[in-house]
Amino acid sequence: MSGYIAYLVFFLIVALTYSIVVMGLNLQWGFTGLFNAGVVGFFAIGAYGTAVLTGPDRAELIGGFGLPFPVGVIGGMILSTLAALVVGLATLRLREEYLAISTFGIAISIQLVALNFDTLTGGAQGLTGIPRPLFATFGSPGAYNLFYLGLVATVAAVVYFGLQAALHSPWGRLLKAIREDETAAASLGKNPAMVRLQAFVLGSTLMGLAGGLYVGFIGYVSPMDFLPILTFQIWAMLIVGGSGNNRGAIVGAVGVWALWTMSGFAISRLLPVEYQSQGGAIQVIIIGLLIVLTLLFRPRGLIGEAQSVSRHVS
Amino acid sequence: MKKMLLSSVFGLGLMAGAMPAAAQTASCEIPVGAVLSITGSIAAIGKAIGDAGQLAVDQFNEAGGVAGCTAKYVLRDDQGSPNVGVDAAKTLVEIEKAPIVLGAIQSGVTMPILTSVTVPGKVVQISCCSSAPSFTQLAQEGGTDGYWFRTLPTDRPQGVVMANIAKAKDYKKIAVIYVNSDYGVSLARSFKASFEKLGGTVTSMTAYNQEQASYRAEVNSAMQGDPDSLFLIAFPADGATALREWISFGGTQNLLLSNALRADEFVKSVGAKFLTNAVGIDNAQTEGPSVEAFNKAWEAKFGQAPNGPGLHTMYDAAAVALLAMEKAGKPDGTAIRDNIREITQGDGEVIYPGPEGFKKAKELIKAGKPIRYEGATGPISFDANGDVTGPYLIWGVADGKLTTVETWDKMRVADAIAELDK
Repeated sequence: MSGYIAYLVFFLIVALTYSIVVMGLNLQWGFTGLFNAGVVGFFAIGAYGTAVLTGPDRAELIGGFGLPFPVGVIGGMILSTLAALVVGLATLRLREEYLAISTFGIAISIQLVALNFDTLTGGAQGLTGIPRPLFATFGSPGAYNLFYLGLVATVAAVVYFGLQAALHSPWGRLLKAIREDETAAASLGKNPAMVRLQAFVLGSTLMGLAGGLYVGFIGYVSPMDFLPILTFQIWAMLIVGGSGNNRGAIVGAVGVWALWTMSGFAISRLLPVEYQSQGGAIQVIIIGLLIVLTLLFRPRGLIGEAQSVSRHVS
Repeated sequence: MKKMLLSSVFGLGLMAGAMPAAAQTASCEIPVGAVLSITGSIAAIGKAIGDAGQLAVDQFNEAGGVAGCTAKYVLRDDQGSPNVGVDAAKTLVEIEKAPIVLGAIQSGVTMPILTSVTVPGKVVQISCCSSAPSFTQLAQEGGTDGYWFRTLPTDRPQGVVMANIAKAKDYKKIAVIYVNSDYGVSLARSFKASFEKLGGTVTSMTAYNQEQASYRAEVNSAMQGDPDSLFLIAFPADGATALREWISFGGTQNLLLSNALRADEFVKSVGAKFLTNAVGIDNAQTEGPSVEAFNKAWEAKFGQAPNGPGLHTMYDAAAVALLAMEKAGKPDGTAIRDNIREITQGDGEVIYPGPEGFKKAKELIKAGKPIRYEGATGPISFDANGDVTGPYLIWGVADGKLTTVETWDKMRVADAIAELDK
């Protein structure tokens, strides 16, 4: 039994880390209508930023500053913010699919930079030996994981309540106004370009924050962590959970990640030993099938967008 | 209905086949975990590697099981993604309670499993296929607590041997073109360091990214500095593209080639007449009775020769883990770790792959006598960092065909490394 609990803790750490990314994407797509197909790029910048700032000093690397973990995470967030600012200024004049293609390309470029900028990122070897915060103070890995789950859950909760407050403010309604009809919003004297940029940068910063938390937990980072499949996974989480609803984003992150990982576990349990090597293919089919079925029966996601009205009305 | 009938008949047959083995062992099961890429970008090789692990576990059960129980092979897919692989490994360790995790294939998956699952969980991890030097570095820094092993030689000895070959050929200035992956980067670096230590010069180090239509720019930049020879570290298709461009631009035909290029398709698409002066290196795994024992068992089971990357090393990873567990007498990661060198080193009686070999090993262990496992890759000797060195063969092209020029056994490789480290 304790094994299941230990695994569940581990699973939730990863799932809640992803839920922060999904909330970031939800801000961009769910509320503002920005089609960011380069999620993994900002996640990568946050992760590498944290790894470079907190990692051990090595002769062949520029980084390895050995800074405390919180400084590393904040540094990673700042780098994601700056990157999002540059990307946003360059691309946000594009609409829908054009924005999607350009952000997708940018994420691929970021991954290629990570692969080729050896002296900073360790290239294909990745960065090893990144310290896990406060690891030594906990006696067992189980206790440590519990602590880390607490940390990630707290951060996710702060992000959730912060976003909820922002989204219920006039600024939040402005996001939706721009999503629904940009011209109408502009006619009311609002500056859609500015607001779109704000939403894009804030969402990307959250992705960077999640990247830092991921690195702190795994203790290693390599370009393989940032293949485009992750962007797809994050999108699947948002769509299945319910775009435009932050609770949906969290439910989607946990649900889709559970589907993704536990289907493998279920298959390895159910399949006879001789067929183990076919299990992988079956797993991929099941994942696709369940996502499609969810969308057929709940087209707006598990928890769809709620009606929102200013609390000053009525 | 017909299907069900068929499958139950099939199932009965299987059960009957498994009976004698099951009768000898207690009803308990010890899970042997494996995380491999069954789907994803390298699925083409992943499935067969999974079968190699299965073969070792099956043979061990045929010999009577491990530590008084039946070994149960639990294979999980990492989909070629680190996050999925880490999660799979965590279920193996926490829910299945596996004391060993075999895998993964790509270093980018293997490393996060090691740092976040197996080392904290005090579980032994043995990889068949990850050759990145970062594992050695992590082990030296104490980051693996000794739970890390691999049965595939790292790229370093290969670089050392190649540097010695280059020196023997009297090349002075070598250009290096390498594939930009953990494999290419580490082999290129190891070669450069070794060759410079032997007094040679590397005129340029040029990385290329895979699957491009042309490598003209890379070839041009590698030609700077007037090299008298080229070391090409590549996979066959891209390697042929790059080498054709190199030769058409008038590059030297004094060529050194990496292990992945030992393929007929490469020779064919470059043209054998351009390769008469080329020498290449590859992991040698062709000789010795222990290697034969594995090859025969594989052919008997799958009806074809075990040609493919990772099969021999995966089999050995599983066999070493099981023998160490038998020696330890219990499915405990730390005890297995402490027994792995006991069963691969020293003057014990030599054990070969296969059910008879494992049966003999079990009897000797029971009698308290030492054993030494010689596996599908020949004798295995893990150093302090969990690394092995391997034998190499040097190949060339004659009459349009791949030929073996000479072989370097493990002793010679070890001597060359020791010479260089002095």
